[in-house]
Formats: sequence, structure tokens, C-alpha cells
Amino acid sequence: MIRNIKIYFSFLGASLKRMIEYRVDCIIGMISQIAFQVIELIFIWIVFQNTDNIAGWTFEHLLLLYGVTMLSLAVTDVLFDSTYSIGYRLIRKGKFDTILLRPVHPLISILGESDTTTSLGYMVLSIILIISMLIKLQITITALLVFKILYLGILGGLIIGGIQTAFSIAGFWTYKSNEVVWSVFQLHKLAEYPIEIYNKFIKVLITLIFPFAFAAYYPTLEYLQLGKGNLIFIMSLIVIVEWIIVIKIWDWGLNKYRSTGN
Amino acid sequence: MALIEVKDLVKKYKISQKKHGVVGYIKHLIHPKYKEVTAVNNISFNIEEGELVGYIGENGAGKSTTIKMLTGLLTPTSGKIEVNGIVPNEKRIQNNKQIGAVFGQKTQLWWDLPVIESFKLIKKMYDLSDKEYEENLEKFTKILDLKDLLDKQVKNLSLGQKMRCEIAATFLHNPKVVYLDEPTIGLDILVKENIRKFIKDINKEQKTTIILTTHDLKDIEEVCDRIILIDKGNIIYDGEKENFKNEYGKHIIAEFIIENKSKNITLETSEEEFEVIEESENSIKIKFNHDKLTVMDVVKSVSNYCEILDMHIQEEGLEEILKEIYRGEIIND
Ligand SMILES: Nc1ncnc2c1ncn2[C@@H]1O[C@H](COP(=O)(O)OP(=O)(O)O)[C@@H](O)[C@H]1O
Ligand SMILES: [Mg+2]
Repeated sequence: MIRNIKIYFSFLGASLKRMIEYRVDCIIGMISQIAFQVIELIFIWIVFQNTDNIAGWTFEHLLLLYGVTMLSLAVTDVLFDSTYSIGYRLIRKGKFDTILLRPVHPLISILGESDTTTSLGYMVLSIILIISMLIKLQITITALLVFKILYLGILGGLIIGGIQTAFSIAGFWTYKSNEVVWSVFQLHKLAEYPIEIYNKFIKVLITLIFPFAFAAYYPTLEYLQLGKGNLIFIMSLIVIVEWIIVIKIWDWGLNKYRSTGN
Repeated sequence: MALIEVKDLVKKYKISQKKHGVVGYIKHLIHPKYKEVTAVNNISFNIEEGELVGYIGENGAGKSTTIKMLTGLLTPTSGKIEVNGIVPNEKRIQNNKQIGAVFGQKTQLWWDLPVIESFKLIKKMYDLSDKEYEENLEKFTKILDLKDLLDKQVKNLSLGQKMRCEIAATFLHNPKVVYLDEPTIGLDILVKENIRKFIKDINKEQKTTIILTTHDLKDIEEVCDRIILIDKGNIIYDGEKENFKNEYGKHIIAEFIIENKSKNITLETSEEEFEVIEESENSIKIKFNHDKLTVMDVVKSVSNYCEILDMHIQEEGLEEILKEIYRGEIIND
């Protein structure tokens, strides 16, 4: 395990060196992503021109929820970007075979290839948004709260990243696996709104089956001091259980792939 | 116990029979039809430590499929493989630590990093000590002439330069077994010779067991002691290269320099005697079966038609022998 993590960081280091080569692409990517976020924020603002709350949530509350979601997504993007197009990028070109021949679990190699810094800007932006909304909502910013925001942000990223990784096995069957991963990923949009507005089915879907709500809604409640139970503990547990399942699913997909030959 | 044991190995591929049109597509989703292709059909062999084996056969014979199963990339349909006591497809990571592999032109190096950075990552992955790493790096750099390549990005290297780095990367962690699937494809003669020398040297020094598949039979002639010949998924020969030549290479090619030719020799002689491959005013090239005729017999026959000034005798090479086997001219039992 420790060996795997060490190798993972060596791979990431290599990705970083590669990224420095493509600085300009990075900066352009960052700018376009931030523009994209601003458009979404404008959209929320328009909704609030006609109403002053949604299920009891004010504009500030929603922006806070949005910031929390954005932080989790940014972490997902930085760490798990490379799970997107396994089919197209790795399997179609036969590169996956060379990854399978390495003396580490193939997921270490794949995750180690992540090379988007574009979301780093996006991460900073989300933290600014979260803190300023909390101040506006008259919550005292303590060191513990900042720690929670960062820690739960990372866990949120791991939760979404896990779902993305599980579905990346679509790449073993189709070169267009990115479309599959993208569709599932879109479910996170549901978690950008207060969970109260949904019916039971969607509530179960985004808390128990694909726990996106833990990457957005529940941490937001926690920061607003409305949370029940120890969220740090609950989310840590969710991440561990989820990842055990994800790795099982992934290995199952890999075995299928190795028995058919692509 | 041999280092590599393969017993009754079979691989069948399922190819889905896709139909055209929407209806056909939906039918396929509900009730998929598959056609089975047997790529490897019940093969067995053992390879001892330190052997250098040429695994040869025509395109589509099943070479790559076998190598993929040996490396654990592909799960066999049935049969057993053990490499140094490990079943590759069950204990993949453990197996990967003891092997190295090259598959044609697919690279294991990091595309947009300098070569040396890839080597450093390999050092980390395989837990190489500084000493092992430095020693190998120095040795390989010398034999494969990598000095000027190490600081270049892989994507900027030529095919031959890339393959030299690739070979070095494959052997860097002192693997027990190395699989080379078409390592020389598309390379020029000098690079090919360089790589052959490297393979031979390392095999001798480290006792690395090497299995090599190739199109270029010169690779085999120069490098391998043993050959395994596979045809349509079946092994049709397994043994020493020299024995193979003795067993199947029954033909000799004799080239005569002649003058004062009286008749057209091709027209005068019958197929059973010998086969004239080329004929001109001053030379003639003849192929004959050494079991049936001696060189003297042929010399006598030829001298009936002309004066012989000089002659040159050559045994058939692997390439010619294999061509005859593929054409069905040599019957196998
Ligand atoms: N992934 C695959 N799916 C279906 N058939 C395959 C696949 N790979 C190889 N084959 C078939 O299996 C046979 C053996 O192929 P291969 O092992 O690549 O031969 P070689 O390496 O000797 O040229 C061929 O008939 C080939 O068409
Ligand atoms: Mg092949």
C-alpha cells in the first residue's frame, strides 16, 4: 500500500513535469473554466430575481452550496481527470497493455497520469466563495471550520472520483467510455440544489447509491452548523467503503477485459 | 522443474457477429451471436532458465496471443501456464516484477518526458537499488549507444532510437524472463544488429531467459539456439535450430560459373533430377535434394552440357525452409 502510494506520487511528479511543458494550454484552460463557472452563478442569480428562497434556502445559502460542490468537483478533476477516457486514450492505442505489465495496480498508473492544473484556479475560487458566503451568513470562521472545509472538500472529491472511476471500466468495452462516465457524472448537478426539493427516489439515488449529496449538501449543512452526527467520521467511512467497492468493480472489469482480449 | 511450463494451452477469441441496420443491432443486443476463432490450439512446451527461444510462425499463427498469455495480459481459455512457479494471469503484479516485455512498437516509456526520467520511474517501480540501477544504466548505455538519447524526449526520437531505449527499459530491472514480440519490426539493419548483440550479451551474462518472436528470420539465425514453430495455433516444431535445419533443410543450392554451354540445361533436365533456379550464358543456379543426390552427381550432370569454371555451395537458410513448410512442400508428422 505505502509502496503503491509512493509510486503514485512519482507518477504524479512526472505528470507535473510534463504539464510545465504545456503551460499555455493550462492557463487558457483555467480561464475558460472560470468563465464557465461565472455563467452558472449568473444562472442562479437569475432564478433569485423572482423568488427569495428555494425550500427555505436563500441566495447566499445556495451560493454556499454551489461553492461546496465546486470545491469537491475541483478536487475530483485534479485527481481523477485521467479516468475519463480510458477507452479512447489507453485501450484503443494499446497503451493499456504496457500499463498492465507494470508491477503496480493499473489504477495507480492511470490516476498518476492526471495532469489538469486547470482546476486549481477553480479550487481557489470555490474556497473564496465558501468563506465569503459563510461570513455573509454570520458564521464565525474558526481554524477548525477551515480545516473541515478543506478535509471534507478532499473527501467530497474522493467520493465523486470513486463514482467516476467505477464507471471508467466502460472503457474495457467501448472506446467511447468518456460518454458513459460523463452521463453518470452529470448526476452531481442534482446535488447542487437542496436535497429537500427532491422526491424519495432521487434522495436515495444521490445519498445512498451515488453519494453525491455527501460531496455537496451535507458538508454545507455542517458549515451552517445544521448538521446532525459527526460528518467527518461518516464521510471518512463512506470514502473507505466506496473505494473498496470501486476497486472490486474495477478489478472485475479488468478480468473481463483480459479474458476477451480487445 | 522448468522455468516456464506451458501445458495444453488454448485460447479462443469470441468475435461478435454484428449485423447491419437498427433491427440487426437490437437483435444483437438481445441475443448476441459469436463466432469462435481458435488462436492457440492446445500447445505445450517447457523452457529452462537461460534459454533463448525463437517463437516463429506466419502472420496470424498465434504468436502474440501466446506471448500475451505468458505475460498475464490475456486469460487462457484452458490449459496451464507457470512462470517461475507463478501463474501469470492470477498473480499479475508478482509476475510483472520478474518479467520484461516489448510489444512491437508500443512504448512503455513516458512519451513526453526525457528518456532518463522514464528510467528513473522504472527504478522506483521495481525498487531497484542505486547500485543495480547505475550498473545497468552504464552497461546498457554503452552497448546500445544511448549517451546522446537519455536527455531527449521520447516523442522526438526516431524509431530505431526509441527501440534501443525501449530495450534498455525492458532489461533495466534484471528481469528473469523477457518476452520480445516483434522487437525489430521496421528497424534498419544497424539497429537490428545492435539489438541482437545486446540480447545475446545479456542472455549470456545474466542468464536471462528470452523468448523472441520476429518476422526477420535473421534475428533467429543470429540470436536463438532453439526454435518453436507455430502454425495455425499448433506447434509443428520444437527443438534446436541446427536440428531443425538438418531435419527439414534437405536442399542444397549450388551455383556454377560456366562457359561454352552447348544446350539449354533447364530444358534438357527433368524435375526429378534437380531444379534449375536461374540460368544464363555464364552461370547456373541449381537446387537439389541432398538425400537423393550428392554434389558429385550434380557436377557430373552439369558438366555434360558445359565447362565448369567455379562453383559455390550453400545450404538452405531458415527462410527458404520455412517457405517450403508453409507451402506444404515438407510433410510433417
Ligand atoms: N483480439 C482478438 N480478437 C479476435 N481475434 C483475434 C484477436 N487477436 C488475434 N486474433 C486472431 O487470432 C489469430 C492469431 O493472432 P496473433 O496471435 O496475433 O498471431 P501472430 O502474432 O502470430 O501474427 C489470428 O487469426 C487473429 O486474427
Ligand atoms: Mg503478432
